[in-house]
Amino acid sequence: MTYDMVISIITSTLRLSVPVMMATVGCSFSTQGGVTAFGCEGMMAAGAIFATIGAYFSGNKWVGILAGVAAAMLISCIHGVLHIKYRVNATLSGMSVNLLGTAMATLLLKLVWQEEGFSPPTEAFTKLAANPAFQWLTKIPVAGYILGEQSVYFFFCIIMIVISWMFMYKTAYGLRLRMVGENPVAANTVGINTVRYKYFGVLVCGFMAGLGGTFLSLVGMNRYTIDMTAGRGYVAMVINNLGASNPIGSALASIFFGFFDCLQFVFQGVNTPAQLLMMMPYVFTLLICLANTKRSRGPAGMGKFYDD
Amino acid sequence: MNGNTGKSKLSGRFSIFSRSAAALLAALLIGGVIITLGGYSFVDVYAAIFKGSLGSSRGIVLSLATATPIMFTGLGFAIGIKVGIVNTGLEGQLYMGALVSALVGAYIPMPAGVHVVVSMLAGAVAGGLAGTLMGWFRVQFGAPEVITGIMMNSIITLFTSYLSNDPLKPPNVGSAQTIQIKETAELIKLVPKSQLTTAFIVAIVMCILVYWMQRKTVWGYKMTAVGLNPRASMVAGISSSRMYLLALALSGAMAGLAGSGLALGIFKRFIESVSNGLGFQGIPVSALAGHNPLGVIVSALLFGVLKAGATMVNQSTSIPYEFVDVVQALVVVFVAAPAIITEPVRFIYRKIADRGTASGSAAGAK
Repeated sequence: MTYDMVISIITSTLRLSVPVMMATVGCSFSTQGGVTAFGCEGMMAAGAIFATIGAYFSGNKWVGILAGVAAAMLISCIHGVLHIKYRVNATLSGMSVNLLGTAMATLLLKLVWQEEGFSPPTEAFTKLAANPAFQWLTKIPVAGYILGEQSVYFFFCIIMIVISWMFMYKTAYGLRLRMVGENPVAANTVGINTVRYKYFGVLVCGFMAGLGGTFLSLVGMNRYTIDMTAGRGYVAMVINNLGASNPIGSALASIFFGFFDCLQFVFQGVNTPAQLLMMMPYVFTLLICLANTKRSRGPAGMGKFYDD
Repeated sequence: MNGNTGKSKLSGRFSIFSRSAAALLAALLIGGVIITLGGYSFVDVYAAIFKGSLGSSRGIVLSLATATPIMFTGLGFAIGIKVGIVNTGLEGQLYMGALVSALVGAYIPMPAGVHVVVSMLAGAVAGGLAGTLMGWFRVQFGAPEVITGIMMNSIITLFTSYLSNDPLKPPNVGSAQTIQIKETAELIKLVPKSQLTTAFIVAIVMCILVYWMQRKTVWGYKMTAVGLNPRASMVAGISSSRMYLLALALSGAMAGLAGSGLALGIFKRFIESVSNGLGFQGIPVSALAGHNPLGVIVSALLFGVLKAGATMVNQSTSIPYEFVDVVQALVVVFVAAPAIITEPVRFIYRKIADRGTASGSAAGAK
C-alpha cells in the first residue's frame, strides 16, 4: 500500500463521513430528547432533492441549502406531530415519514424535470483547494492536501459538532433536554415544558439530517440521483447509538462508516466486484448494531411522555 | 352484556373501516393536489387511472396481477405487527425468495406439477430463513429489527445483484439475470398472455389461513398476547422470543412467496431489480387494512387498482407513476394519526358554524 493510497483513503473517508456525521449529530438531539431518531432517511431525501430544486431554479447553491433544510425540517415536523402530539409509536411515525420523503423525492424528480434517474446538474460546492481564498490551506504539509480536498461543509460540520456538544453538556437547556429524555415525568414536575423540548430535539434532527442530505446532492455530486440517501439515515441512527448519543462520540463513530463507504472508490480499479465492496458499510453497520445494542440503551425515558 | 360487547366490537370494526376510508380519501386528495401543482389536471389524472385499471378487462387483470406481490408483503407486515415487530426487511426477504425459487426452478429438474410447488416452497423457506435471522438478531442481541431489516435489505439486494451480474449470469446476456427457469417450474397463468398467475390465488389463501391461525389457533393466540403485552405473556408462560422468531419466519416466508411469484410467474428468472420497493409497499397495504389479514386482501386490491391504473396511464401520457408511492406513504401517515385529518376538518367546520350563528344572531339583532 503506497503513501498516496493512504492519503487518498483518509481524504475520501473524511469526505464521505460528512453526511452521516451531520445526520448522526441530529439524531443525538432527537434521542437525548427521548424520541427514537427514525425518519432521518426521509429527512435526508427531502434535503437532497429540495437542495437540487432550490439550486437549479435560483442558480445559487446557498438557496439550495436553505430549501433543502426547510424541506427536511417540514418532514421532521410531521414526524414530531405524529409522535409527540398524536402519540404514534416513533418507529411507525418515523417509518411513515421515511416512506413519504423518499417517495416525494422520486416524484419530484419526475414532476420537475421529467427525469427517471437523475436531475440536470446544478451549481455545487467545490473542494477548498480549488478556491483561491483557501490557497494558504494547501501549504500545510500532508494535512493541507487532505483538508484542501474537503468542502466548506466539512468545517461547518465540525463547528456544529462542537456547538452541539457544548449545548448538550454545558448549558442548562442541554441538561433539560437530557432530563426530558431520561424522565419526562420528573422533568414535567420541575416545570420543564417537555413537549417543547421534544419538538426542539426532533426539529434539530431535521435540520442536521437535512444538511446531510444537501451535502449528498450539492457536494457529493452536483445533481440529485435516484435513491441518493441509500439508507444513510438509518446508518446515522445506528452510529448515534454507537456514540451513545454524544455528538462528538457519534461524529467519531461515523468516520468508520466513511471508511467502509470509501473502499468502493479506492478499490474501483482492483479486480473486486463492485457490489461486494458496496455491501461493506452495511455489513459494518449491521455488525455494530449486533455488538452494541446490549451495552448502550439510549435514555431511560425513550418514547415516554410527561403524562404516561 | 353479550349484546354490549357485540356492539362495541361492531363499532370498533366500523371505526377501523371509516378510519381507513378517510385516510385513503385524504391521501388521494393530497396526492391529487401535488399532481395538480405539477401541472396536471386533478380530475383527468384520476379519471384516467380508474379508466385504465377498471375500464377494460385487460386493466382489471393487470390490477389483480399488480395486487399479488403487495398482498403477500402486506400480509407479511401484518403478521409482524401482530407480535409488535415492524418488519422492514421484507424487501430483502422478497429478493431471497425470488432468487432461490428461480435457482430451484432452473437447475433442479423435477416432474411437472411437483417442480413448481417445490420451487415456490423453496422461495418461502428462503424468505423465512432471512426473516428468522432477523428475529435471531433481535432475540439474541437485542438489535432493533427495524435497523437490521434495512441493513439486510441493502446487503441482500447488493449480494443478489452481484450473483446475477457475475457468477450466475448466463453468457451472451446483457442485463443482470440468472438463467431461465424450466417450463415445469412456471406458474400457470389464470388469463393467457397476462401477468395474472396462480400466485394470486395462493396470496388470497394465505391471507385467509393467517387470519384463521391468528383467530383460532393456540399459536395465533400466543402471538397476539405477546404483541399486546410481552411482559404479561411472559408471566403467563409464553416465550416472547419464540413468538418473535415464529412471526418473523412466517412474515419472511410471505415476502419470499411474493418473490417466488414474480420470478416463477412473470420474469421466468431472477433479475437484478425483481422488486423495486414492493417489500416497503407492504407497509401501506397492511396499515390501510388495520393490520387485519382479511383486510389485506381488500387493501392490496385497492392499491393494485391504483398502481395498475397509473401504469396504464403512464404508457399513454406522461403522468408520473411515482405519485402512487406518495399516496401510499400518505395513507400510512393518516391511518397512524387520523386526527391529522379530522382536527382541521372539525376546526373549519366549527369556524363555519360559528360564523353561521354569529351572522344569524347579528341578523336577529337587526
